[in-house]
Amino acid sequence: MMKNSSRKKGLIRSFFSLVLIAGTVTAVAPTAAQATPVCQTVAFVTSCGGVTSDGAQYSMTAAANFNGTVFIYSHGYRPWVNIEAGKIPTASLRGGYTVNNLPQPGPLPGGSTAVIQSLIAQGYGVMGSGFLRQGWNAESAVKTNVELIGLFKKTFPKTTKVVAWGESLGGFITQALHEAHPDLVDAVVPMCTVAGSIEASMKSAGDALWLLKTFFDSSIVGHSYKSGDEGRQQAITDIQKIFALAPQIQASLVTGAWPASSGAVGKALASIPPRSALLLTGLAAGLPPQSNSFDGTTGPGIRDSADYSRFAIAASPALAMLENVIEAGVLGVLVTHDLESQLGGAYFDNTATDYGALIAEERVIFNLGLSGEDAIGAMLQVLGTAAVAPRWKANPTAAANMKKMLTHKGVFAKPTIALHGVADPAVSVGNMQWLIERAEDQYRKDVADNVRKVLKGESTDRASRKLLAVINPTPDEYTTFNGALPVSKAPGTTTGTGHCNFTTAQYLAIAQLAANAADTGRIPSAAAANRVLRKAGNMFVDRNYFIPLQKFYASAE
Amino acid sequence: MKSISLRRRSVAATAIISMVALFASTFPASGSNTAGVTRTEIKLGTTVPQTGIAAPGYSKVAPAMQAFFNYVNANGGVHGRKITLSIKDDGYNPKLAVSKTRELIQRDRVFAIVGALGTANQKAVSTLLRQNRVPSLFVNTGFSEFADKGKYPFQAALFPSYMMEAKIMAEFISSNPDFKGKKVGIIMQADDFGTDAQKGFTQQKFKFDKVIRYPNGQQGEADKVDLWISDLKAAGFGSGDVVIVFGVTTATAAVLSAARRASFAPQWVLGSVGADATTIAGINPLLLGLLNNSIGASFLPDPSDVSDEYIKLFAEINKTYNKNVPFDFNVVAGMNTAMMMTQALHAAGPNLTRTGLMSALERNGKDFYSAGMTSLGYSTTARVGYNGYWFGKYNARGELKPINNQVIIYTTDSGNGAVTKSDKITRKPMPDKGLPK
Repeated sequence: MMKNSSRKKGLIRSFFSLVLIAGTVTAVAPTAAQATPVCQTVAFVTSCGGVTSDGAQYSMTAAANFNGTVFIYSHGYRPWVNIEAGKIPTASLRGGYTVNNLPQPGPLPGGSTAVIQSLIAQGYGVMGSGFLRQGWNAESAVKTNVELIGLFKKTFPKTTKVVAWGESLGGFITQALHEAHPDLVDAVVPMCTVAGSIEASMKSAGDALWLLKTFFDSSIVGHSYKSGDEGRQQAITDIQKIFALAPQIQASLVTGAWPASSGAVGKALASIPPRSALLLTGLAAGLPPQSNSFDGTTGPGIRDSADYSRFAIAASPALAMLENVIEAGVLGVLVTHDLESQLGGAYFDNTATDYGALIAEERVIFNLGLSGEDAIGAMLQVLGTAAVAPRWKANPTAAANMKKMLTHKGVFAKPTIALHGVADPAVSVGNMQWLIERAEDQYRKDVADNVRKVLKGESTDRASRKLLAVINPTPDEYTTFNGALPVSKAPGTTTGTGHCNFTTAQYLAIAQLAANAADTGRIPSAAAANRVLRKAGNMFVDRNYFIPLQKFYASAE
Repeated sequence: MKSISLRRRSVAATAIISMVALFASTFPASGSNTAGVTRTEIKLGTTVPQTGIAAPGYSKVAPAMQAFFNYVNANGGVHGRKITLSIKDDGYNPKLAVSKTRELIQRDRVFAIVGALGTANQKAVSTLLRQNRVPSLFVNTGFSEFADKGKYPFQAALFPSYMMEAKIMAEFISSNPDFKGKKVGIIMQADDFGTDAQKGFTQQKFKFDKVIRYPNGQQGEADKVDLWISDLKAAGFGSGDVVIVFGVTTATAAVLSAARRASFAPQWVLGSVGADATTIAGINPLLLGLLNNSIGASFLPDPSDVSDEYIKLFAEINKTYNKNVPFDFNVVAGMNTAMMMTQALHAAGPNLTRTGLMSALERNGKDFYSAGMTSLGYSTTARVGYNGYWFGKYNARGELKPINNQVIIYTTDSGNGAVTKSDKITRKPMPDKGLPK
């Protein structure tokens, strides 16, 4: 058994802590719709607030030493519905959540405004909106940001360069702004970003929810939520069920017993440890096999012992998946509920999904964790049996509407610096790989175009890469043990894990590179970037670093 | 006109730069054919279990390779370059194999991987090798798919495939009058290793009276292994009946331990990668008694056969360069792998490139001299290592001796080809000092 069973608490802090304190950095509280910002200057720092024409609140700040470069920040996903106190047992949500539209002008690592304050002190301007609607709001957020950039330039006429940055959904908004309005930005920083389409990430979420439901609790709704408050309650109840599964699966590491809620599937697979089904769930969904507390490779005691190997190979990846499934599952439920309400019904469809194909490589790497080929075969057989594992069919209208959602083209007009943790459970690092591959395609095309032009005797600009992909790795080994028992770590402890789990120093290093890129019009060389990144710690650039694509994209190739 | 000509030169220069950049972007930098090669050094790497459940025995393979390379270096190296070997411990954990291989390629910047070990581990790293265009030669596994150049363009296995081994084992048992009318069971690893073998038995239409499949690693759980033995006994197996163990040596040791506890003594037939006597004795010396009279298959000569010129050379190198560790199958396998790698590097020529190395293997690999008792199948279309085995019986000292003092070589393929038997060994004589000319 885990030593600290309260590990799950606060796992989704990274989403919601931002929401709860966002307002604290706004110097001037906006009032009713204001065409022009209301500003005040205190100790040489001018802070302005207001609402854009669509009604979104914003804040913008620059000091007397403003150097002309401003950072426009797009925040990540915030729930679009209220959550009552006591419903979800995380530190940030235990007291409840009320939909929050407060503006956020920069990242808030660990709830601190240090990044924003440091940028202002260095002479940069900062701004950010709260956006009008919460939930998945990329299309409207891009419009809000366009207006906000104009407002800032008008308010601070010294503005010469604009760096757009954002995290998660905010990273998606940032890249979408870049693609739609390249003339408005000089450098772009999508961090821990959703890339390409939200459909790709929601395929992973849908698979994770369906597999959780199928293996562990058939009463999880997971999709096709009802409209109105009834649907909201269904979603909250689903989150509660996912949390409730955690201790049961954890206990099964010792007992081998399936949760009572797993019903017929649990009985059919009784000879297989539930941890293997959980591992299959996470692997098929593309979740990382290491987490904040579990590195997936080490065990207790001496390395040559059977206990060490068994834990390292079989238990650790499953425990890592447990931490990750909770984090991904909670966000998956919230966004599914949100998107279904926007798209007019269930958009996820796994009637044609081959779960064996989804784990084709992983079943080799995690063969023992999955309890061997026979167990894998038995689990896949259950997943292919309609009577016990009915697939989810999409509402055709909703599925068609999903295809109409804003997507990225994968074009890079301005220098772009992406940053992603390699074991991000909520938005896979495979999203950054999608950007990398599109940027390489563009670079090759630019080079080929240049060659054609040169052969025709036309002059050209030298082709250059536009994307610098910064990797935030995990340590090689970091699971700690108290005797034979693994010790849970406080959320956010392990670099490279968690969603958008970056430090103040890391954000500031990325900001420094982005500001330089905005000035020069080019991304820095890998060597120059690595000098800055190493100083901040746990980041590097390496074009040959292999990152698997997100499952959705990999299976589409 | 001067300005136009300057512009044209500038345009031409841009074109060249662009073309260079285009190719540079098509082939990743670490796929550069000179990574890991300097005027004086060839940097190689390997991932092997130095710790963990499979470490007993297998942990000796990489140091033995290192010893042979040191011997080569002391004799002038390859085209004047010394060979260095970076050894990474993967704990026989595929996930760790991926991260350690990544370290070898991206941090240590090795030229190539040699003698990496384990079917699952090496399947797991194949994408990484392909992505970085890094050759991994003489992979210590018999997984038949590694012969597929299209699927694994940068890997080449060394062992006869497990499918070949199973076909040969089926033929050996079926044609042996001592086993007529006996029950035959098998304990096999339930992953690609075992599945590959299963294909071979199926190909030969070989029927088992009892099949026990286990996930690799479960051999560390004594209670589970006891169940395997009680299952065999419950199925009526007894003295004289045949039980094949198709797993790694630690699994064989676990099975023999459980059999000893249960006083179960069938005729054991042990797979080639799972019967290293010194490893078994290291786990429990009492198991050597049970190993006595077990049947084993090998493609290498018996390490105790000092009349064999390869064994004699390896034993000398072991004394001088390998701290004179107990000389066994793993030491022989490691040195034999290093000997073949040395030839591959030599055949690739002084202008060493990764593509040149792969070409050298395809072009010359089948003619490499080695301690192996059968021929090699490397070609431009396949990455097949050895193609057969001889069978022997272990004595009380754990030495594998030819049955009836006669070495019969069984050969076949990984398809539907027949199993052939021969008492002729086609091995090439070892050149002077075992070094390529």
